[in-house]
Amino acid sequence: MKKLSTVAVVLALSCVGAAQAGNPEAGKEKSRPCAACHGADGNSAAPNFPRIAGQHYDYLVKALRDYKSGARKNAIMAPQVANLNPRDFDDLAAYFSEQQGLAQRKVSYIVPSGKH
Amino acid sequence: MIAALYAGAQSTAPGAAPAAAQPAAPAAAQSAAPGAAQPAAPAPDAQAAGNAEAGRHKSSMCVGCHNIPGYKTAFPVVYSVPKLDGQHAVYIVSALRAYKSGERRHPSMRAVAASLSDQDMADLAAFYASGPTQAASR
Repeated sequence: MKKLSTVAVVLALSCVGAAQAGNPEAGKEKSRPCAACHGADGNSAAPNFPRIAGQHYDYLVKALRDYKSGARKNAIMAPQVANLNPRDFDDLAAYFSEQQGLAQRKVSYIVPSGKH
Repeated sequence: MIAALYAGAQSTAPGAAPAAAQPAAPAAAQSAAPGAAQPAAPAPDAQAAGNAEAGRHKSSMCVGCHNIPGYKTAFPVVYSVPKLDGQHAVYIVSALRAYKSGERRHPSMRAVAASLSDQDMADLAAFYASGPTQAASR
């Protein structure tokens, strides 16, 4: 049983790794068109363009996919992603998610086993 | 009661180096935006001035998803709920308005945004914009 659960954990971890397959170095190269609005490192200067530095990798990938599919509509982003492929999305998300930027301030919450 | 939730919360302004070039106040930045060397974007409509402290007291329905480390949205599309601390207030308000109008689709966010007034949105945006920035983690 213990061995099985170890296998499960390893599998789960490798899945996480696979889900974050982007290459941040490649993403940096591909990010130049993004810089005009979002800033070179994703910390945008203009407040109507979202800060994306430090944003979650998988959220960034989803946002880019949604712009491409049309699920999320934006006149600026649609043409930006039109010629990008899923690999580009992964790389860009890897780069921006690794930059210093957005945060999650801590809040206290309660779970049945005690207070966190 | 709600304030107690934030016993460990920081209220410092973003201290990251890139923030030095950031507009300090959303209102000032908004008026400066048209002259900035940025591609044209839909100008944010006039919006109420936000109060970060008021926003903190209205944020209980936000923090349960946006401020729990590792929290993800529900099946079938599972992904991390976006971080909001340090986000621009103007952007947050525009996102909330888009959810409220249905222009941007997410069932939970539509329900939340539908319950917010313009003042609520401005206050929540000020609250999150006042949040800390930090070294990123994937």
